[in-house]
Amino acid sequence: MTGLFSEVFLGALLFGAVTAAIPLLLAGLGEQMSEKAGVLNIGIEGMMIFGAYLGFVGAFYSGSLWLGFLTGALGGMVVALLMALLCVRLGLNQIVIGIGLTLGLEGLTALLHHFQFSRSYPRLPAADRTVIPFLADIPILGPALFRQHLIVYMAIALVFVMGYIYRRTQLGLNLQAAGDKPAALDVAGIDVVRTRTIAVLTTGALAGLGGAYLANVGAGIFIPFITNGAGFLGIVLAMLARGRPVWVLFGALLFGVCLSLTTAMQVAGINIPTDVIQMLPFLAVMIMLVLFGRRASLPAALGIPYERGAR
Amino acid sequence: MLRVLKSSVSVILLTGFMLSGAIAADVKSIAILTPEEGTDYGWNQQGVDAAKAAAAATGVEVVVAQGLGYGDVRPTLRELAEEGASLLIAHASGYNTSAPEIANELKVPVAIVDTPSALKKGLVADYTLSGHEGAYLAGRLAAKMTRSKAVGIVVSGEPPSWNSQSAGFAQGVKAENPDVKVTYAVIGPAAYSDAAGGKRVTESVIASGADIIFGQGNGSSFGMLQAVETTKAADGGKVYFIDVIGDKTPIDKGFLLSSVVWNITPVYTAMINDLKADTFGTKSYSIGLKDDSVKLLKTAAIPDNVWTEVQALREDVISGKIKVEPVFEATAVRALMTNVSE
Repeated sequence: MTGLFSEVFLGALLFGAVTAAIPLLLAGLGEQMSEKAGVLNIGIEGMMIFGAYLGFVGAFYSGSLWLGFLTGALGGMVVALLMALLCVRLGLNQIVIGIGLTLGLEGLTALLHHFQFSRSYPRLPAADRTVIPFLADIPILGPALFRQHLIVYMAIALVFVMGYIYRRTQLGLNLQAAGDKPAALDVAGIDVVRTRTIAVLTTGALAGLGGAYLANVGAGIFIPFITNGAGFLGIVLAMLARGRPVWVLFGALLFGVCLSLTTAMQVAGINIPTDVIQMLPFLAVMIMLVLFGRRASLPAALGIPYERGAR
Repeated sequence: MLRVLKSSVSVILLTGFMLSGAIAADVKSIAILTPEEGTDYGWNQQGVDAAKAAAAATGVEVVVAQGLGYGDVRPTLRELAEEGASLLIAHASGYNTSAPEIANELKVPVAIVDTPSALKKGLVADYTLSGHEGAYLAGRLAAKMTRSKAVGIVVSGEPPSWNSQSAGFAQGVKAENPDVKVTYAVIGPAAYSDAAGGKRVTESVIASGADIIFGQGNGSSFGMLQAVETTKAADGGKVYFIDVIGDKTPIDKGFLLSSVVWNITPVYTAMINDLKADTFGTKSYSIGLKDDSVKLLKTAAIPDNVWTEVQALREDVISGKIKVEPVFEATAVRALMTNVSE
């Protein structure tokens, strides 16, 4: 059976929603950690696209998606290392450096793609799916939610790991203090620069992983500018979620579902302007997160480089 | 005194005439700016290849600035203008604000797309092209070959030239078989490089029953291609892809049914000649089946008898027996599609 209300169509829409949400989730979780530590990481789009490129290269040449995820995460970390060096260690303007890194890496990856793949446009085979017994048999929801690549389940589990780290561990407290009162953290004998560097590197790894997922699973190919602003959406999610990982998950899934809804409305032949339909995901995420996430606040020292003794 | 006055006026007129002639004929080089690499087997590649061919045909040099993205290209436009380019071809609808600004600022002629109202003599020309005749044939072809009696159109944006092709395709499908359903989905606002979005939306359209996808996407079309390669149709068989503007045969894995291929060389050649003749910015340009600047790609997936029928339809379009009017407005395009819930 096919058609608008068929199980196949609705399942495909939901599956697409999850696939679209995962890169945003990973980027958003990464950005959230940077922001918690006081670093406004505008360069996350650059980390994502470099992760997408290296992730695709890794998967394509090795034939292993997992190796692709690893190289993607490493790629994001390499960019994050630059960000940490320039913004955390040297205290340069985080916005300027972030934008510079993004523009530079979009250009670099386009150039690398030109020399490597621009005549062959290699594509990866469809990603293997991990089937969760019993749950995968639920009509519509089963195939969409419980027949995903293993990395999807790991990304969702990461949300709860992050929540645990922020609430229950010393590292979480250090990150919070590095963003709220870095001088107090310094007085307590914890290295603020080191704490922020760890946060930025983790951000890079997650953003790179998100980029690798986008290229290897989401698209099955790398092309220049493939991230198409996903990193910036991750920043928006992190900002609106204000420190709560589960709200990043909620925002990313809501965005993915709304994207699929826009497709469904168009396929249904609803004759309203496409621009109006396509505003839905952005509007929905902003409204929901502003309404429910407003009680949380952003770190007091967000975007301010830490310099010992400075007033 | 009168003789001096007459001589002065004559000298001024003669100088003016010589100067205008010199300016009109002084076309030494052209430059083309593209958002993605000129190796995409599509819009960017056809633009770059056509600029090179037109330059060779008219004896001018060509500078290619490719992979510039969809952001602000004013610095590149300024740089190319200052380097002496006699014509800047801004080969992306996203450049049609910045390019006329630079034309007015530096007095360098620019060619833009999707803005027919922006014509300005000597400075701004528009080449909003339409492959609607070819798309109509693609629609007839798709309707002949669909097994599920459902086809889909996936686009990464709604510029006028793509709208006219979407409409042409839908009109062709309906003309061939009114019972075939046509679904339509836009990936996102200006999602030209969103390959993941292209794959996601195409998979959904296939799940709605389509077994032939007519895709217009620039970079995102590689995501569409990936979707047809990795997703089975409702009957378990192959999903086929009909591309536009370029020829993806060299990277095809057996899923490419056809393509509405454009040749933009005659357009750029006419532009250079107009520049030389001082008529630049006074007319619009077109492509069509008649001179093969638009043609349908023959692949091994098309049976010979079907191809013969399509070629007969091509002759009917060229002769005027079949009239295909371009539809540029997105609202009018959507009105041509089928409601899947029907």
